[in-house]
Amino acid sequence: MPFNIIVLIKQIVDIDLLKTDPSTGSPQVNNLPMRLENLSKNAIEEAVRIREKHGGKIYGICFGTEKSTSAMKEAYAMGVDEGFVITGYQGNDPSRTAKVLAEKIRTIPHDIILMGNQSAESYTGILPGRISRILGEPLLSNGVKIELQDGKAKVTMAMESENVTAEAPCPVIISVTQEINEPRLPPVMQILQAGKKKINVESTTVQGRTDLKVLSNLAPKSERKKIIFEDPEKGIPEIVKAIKEAMK
Amino acid sequence: MKALVFSDMDDHTIQLLSYFSGMMDTDCVTSGHKAAQIAEFCAGTVYSLKNQFFPDTISSVIADLHKKNAYDYLVIGSTAVGRDVAGILGEELGIDVASEITEFRIDGDSCVTKRFFYGGKTVIEESSKSRILTVMPGISEPKKSTKPGNVVEITGPDSRISLVNRENKSAGAVDLEKAGIIVSVGRGIGNKENIEKIRPLAEAVRGEIAGSRPICLDYHWLSEDRQVGLSGKKVKPKMYIALGISGQIQHIAGMRGSKVVVAINKDKSAPIFEEADYGIVGDIFQVVPKIVDLLKQ
Ligand SMILES: Cc1cc2nc3c(=O)[nH]c(=O)nc-3n(C[C@H](O)[C@H](O)[C@H](O)COP(=O)(O)OP(=O)(O)OC[C@H]3O[C@@H](n4cnc5c(N)ncnc54)[C@H](O)[C@@H]3O)c2cc1C
Ligand SMILES: Nc1ncnc2c1ncn2[C@@H]1O[C@H](COP(=O)(O)O)[C@@H](O)[C@H]1O
Repeated sequence: MPFNIIVLIKQIVDIDLLKTDPSTGSPQVNNLPMRLENLSKNAIEEAVRIREKHGGKIYGICFGTEKSTSAMKEAYAMGVDEGFVITGYQGNDPSRTAKVLAEKIRTIPHDIILMGNQSAESYTGILPGRISRILGEPLLSNGVKIELQDGKAKVTMAMESENVTAEAPCPVIISVTQEINEPRLPPVMQILQAGKKKINVESTTVQGRTDLKVLSNLAPKSERKKIIFEDPEKGIPEIVKAIKEAMK
Repeated sequence: MKALVFSDMDDHTIQLLSYFSGMMDTDCVTSGHKAAQIAEFCAGTVYSLKNQFFPDTISSVIADLHKKNAYDYLVIGSTAVGRDVAGILGEELGIDVASEITEFRIDGDSCVTKRFFYGGKTVIEESSKSRILTVMPGISEPKKSTKPGNVVEITGPDSRISLVNRENKSAGAVDLEKAGIIVSVGRGIGNKENIEKIRPLAEAVRGEIAGSRPICLDYHWLSEDRQVGLSGKKVKPKMYIALGISGQIQHIAGMRGSKVVVAINKDKSAPIFEEADYGIVGDIFQVVPKIVDLLKQ
């Protein structure tokens, strides 16, 4: 039985390249390239694997900005069939993001919604619960393994101290962890083809919250001594001294 | 003020109760096994859910209690289950959520919270009217309440998902948060057998062995409860010894609270040296045995 899948795709600034100012601690986000958020990639990969096995169609939805078409192209290259970019994202506001995404999801008949459990940059992790409640679809979260059969999804969910396997009838929302798969690197041909494919760009009227004020956003101060020995013979006695001190 | 606290991890529930009881009255919902023990930390009522642990059930129980008791804050432990519960509750009750917080204070009719941002590279301080919080583990030491609370057993509605299997992870009794010295290994260790080569160091310093995420989660060379980092344990030992760990920011987020940091890495430009008090540029398999020898002298 084929499955229609919706993948929720977030675009973020490339946090691996992000530097913070050594004197002020402020993050230097201007001019940083944008890329697919890590867990969104795992979600796309899982969608593609499901389609390879069972057939079906993969829709991608990204709530972002005009610039997010580049993320959708990456998603196309990985195997997403049809993408929607909704513009108007103004920063991390999960209640707004959930409403915007749910509004779009409602217009697409689907069996499964795939998303990351916690995005790599903002790390809020409450979107899966919110979307599940808005749409009234059951949530199987933190998936490390997904099996599909007879219109049901069976998911092994990684909790802190145990793995819990549970199932629910489709349509169902599944959030995935980083461990579920290794996202593919698409071949050049696929990247070139993806560049030509149409992306649907839409906008939203959903308003964000107004009570939230950012007081500061800075790198934590590091007061480490940074005494680095390039000659181990010199460093070892110093470190042994420090260890003995710590053992007291 | 009044708060309702929930975590599916008993230790975490106790930490949350200890932290928030200083600021407000607390009740608590627990889906764990230690309701009686938790009551020693909660002056109000401990609502004990038996054999029900899926997020939809738990959030429905919390929403009902909130409608009855009008809590000022719903405090949820940030775990896999807790984050889902908070998300569902946020929509159910139309209340905003401050997520993954590590600090909290009340400021008039708002609250001020701190949490990591940009994957751990920054700490963001926000003021908001959020009334649901997800709180990271490690926010406080356990502190018993002056008077113990009473335990009430409750049942929630059935979950919409059905259980197939539960499997305990090979979690030992390791308590990294309490370790005085932690010897932590990264991918530089090479393979599982090599962990034995650094064990003499852990023994000599009477420390615990921990690891980076790939070591614990991807390769399972160490059990998952030994993972340090943004998505693992947040540790604050007197000394943290990082062996063959590059020092990616998600790892740093878990060990930043360490008093003294020692790093050994063969790559001079590894970012871990930016976060170290003492560093040696060298091969762990050559350096570690020499440290052990000298320690024994
Ligand atoms: C959402 C998210 C959450 C994450 N959470 C965590 C987390 O909680 N904890 C965590 O650790 N990671 C986490 N990560 C992963 C993190 O980004 C890094 O991938 C990980 O920390 C790297 O582990 P490592 O330092 O062991 O490996 P590597 O980065 O591969 O580093 C290995 C190091 O060993 C050195 N080395 C090799 N051989 C030797 C030798 N013989 N002697 C000395 N040095 C040697 C190398 O120079 C290198 O610096 C997370 C990532 C994401 C996206
Ligand atoms: N703006 C967005 N557009 C589409 N999907 C998103 C967006 N933000 C988050 N997601 C999805 O939700 C997951 C968890 O994100 P978060 O709840 O923000 O930590 C991500 O891995 C994405 O799959």
